[in-house]
Amino acid sequence: MNVLLALAVAVLFGSGTFLMLKHDLIRVAAGVLMISNATTLFIMTVSLHRGRAPIYPLPEDQPISDPVVQSLALTAIVIGFGLTALLLVIIFRVYGLYGTLSGTAHPKQEESPEEIAALARHQRPLQRSPRRVDAP
Amino acid sequence: MILTPLLIAWVMAVILALLDGRRIWVGWLAIGAMAGVFLTTLRLTIRVIEHGSLEIVAGGWPLGLGITLRADALGTVFALVSSGVLLVALIYEVLAGVHERAMPALTLFLATGLTGLFFTGDAFNFYVFFEITMTASFVLTTYGQREREMRAALIFMVVNLLGSSLFLSAIASLYHLTGTLDMRALTAIAGSLEQNSVTFTSILIFVAFCIKLGLFPFHFWLPPVYRDSWPAVAAILSGAVANVGSYGLLRFGGMILERELQLNGGALIALGAASILYGAVQAVSVRTVGEALAYSAIGQAGYILLALGIGGPVGIGAAILFALINSINKTLLFLTTGLNGWLVGAAFAIGAFSVAGVPPSLGFFGKVALFQIGITAQNTLLLVIIFLGSALSFIYMFQIYQRAHWAVDHPEQPSRRPSRLLVLGVGILIIALGLWPEPLLLLSQRATDLVIGTP
Repeated sequence: MNVLLALAVAVLFGSGTFLMLKHDLIRVAAGVLMISNATTLFIMTVSLHRGRAPIYPLPEDQPISDPVVQSLALTAIVIGFGLTALLLVIIFRVYGLYGTLSGTAHPKQEESPEEIAALARHQRPLQRSPRRVDAP
Repeated sequence: MILTPLLIAWVMAVILALLDGRRIWVGWLAIGAMAGVFLTTLRLTIRVIEHGSLEIVAGGWPLGLGITLRADALGTVFALVSSGVLLVALIYEVLAGVHERAMPALTLFLATGLTGLFFTGDAFNFYVFFEITMTASFVLTTYGQREREMRAALIFMVVNLLGSSLFLSAIASLYHLTGTLDMRALTAIAGSLEQNSVTFTSILIFVAFCIKLGLFPFHFWLPPVYRDSWPAVAAILSGAVANVGSYGLLRFGGMILERELQLNGGALIALGAASILYGAVQAVSVRTVGEALAYSAIGQAGYILLALGIGGPVGIGAAILFALINSINKTLLFLTTGLNGWLVGAAFAIGAFSVAGVPPSLGFFGKVALFQIGITAQNTLLLVIIFLGSALSFIYMFQIYQRAHWAVDHPEQPSRRPSRLLVLGVGILIIALGLWPEPLLLLSQRATDLVIGTP
């Protein structure tokens, strides 16, 4: 069982890494998701042992499974879920700005007129950050 | 008492999330809340220095069962510097005009995560606060919402999520090895574990925090992110969020996995030296201010690793002191990149002198501590590398100064005066702390005593 789970963690982690190295941003997101699930599975695997559910009243003579691991895995799942949602939102915003999901696109050098107007509306002196310095 | 800064930050963050941060009064409300966090952390620091560490177990559970919050010298000093950095960056942004409604709230969420992370006594709770910090900083990196910021945020997020997954795996395997998550219990048990089993965990933790700190082989995400994010955000990332990396290395490497740190000292020194030289050479060669400062951050992080690799009271002390000084320097330097005008040049020059380690700036004491470790280790090569790094930092800092503030042939519109006075104020603070360094030296000395284990 341990070997099987270890193999599953390895395959998930490996495929996640493979996907993360792709240019397509949706695949990158899928890679991140796979790696975070591989981690959750790893948490379950490292503390795997047989036993009854740890619910009171506890049985006297039987082994009881460790409840801490379950709570760790649950927390990790929730955090991973939230972060995946955030990552997808950022990818969506990037798609809106660049018009493509390919990670190789380069940013435009100048702000568009709408952005300049949006910045000016908030009384902010427009500045490039970082300022480009000229070569000597 | 421990809970006060944490609660102020969290409650105010939730309230501010409902308000429009672009309104000026909301900005000042956020500054007030952040100042509250800073002052209560300061009070807590004084208390910890005078009376020793404080501890709270959540829910009143017996020790070892509940989640502990523990304020000790190491945690409070990092919390103090980080909340100071956040306060300055927030004032800077409010003075310049916030142009996104969530920005003040996000800064306070970041403060919540950082304060919790520095005060927690539980390894898994550390991970949770770590993720709160990272989530807030991911969203903060998008601040500005132009192409470049979104691109920076995407890179930052993907790489750091990988780092977080590695760290979570490390915590799971630590739990598997020791059966506890409490940091004090971990410290007691980890030394007696079988060597081979801990090595894997140590490597995972090391890689996770090096990604966060941006050390040489794990640095690839850092230059585009620091270059492309907004100046105040870059200051927050390099001054406050990078502290997570140095604190984590000190807490997990210096305290819990102390034996592994000593065994792998050579590797740490090699990586640190590579980082120093690589960062400095790259910083000399690049042309934009933000990029040069980003590579400089990689180089400066190398010193922390070098000091940790030497270890012992002198090495750990230098690592703590240098990490704190470095975060103050980097805050000032990144804040000046967004401004124009002559006061800004003066502030930048102070920051540059501090990075190079010229007295009477604060950076001098960091450099003294570093040279001390070279002398203690009786290693000439180490001294040469530290000297070379400092000399190169002098060169690139004044290259930036020359190009950005000195030889500007097209006079630009100077920025608003309050912003310029703020960065000058931070510069004066660096000089003042350099002239009267006792408080900072005392704090880092206490933190060192804690890490080394002398009462």
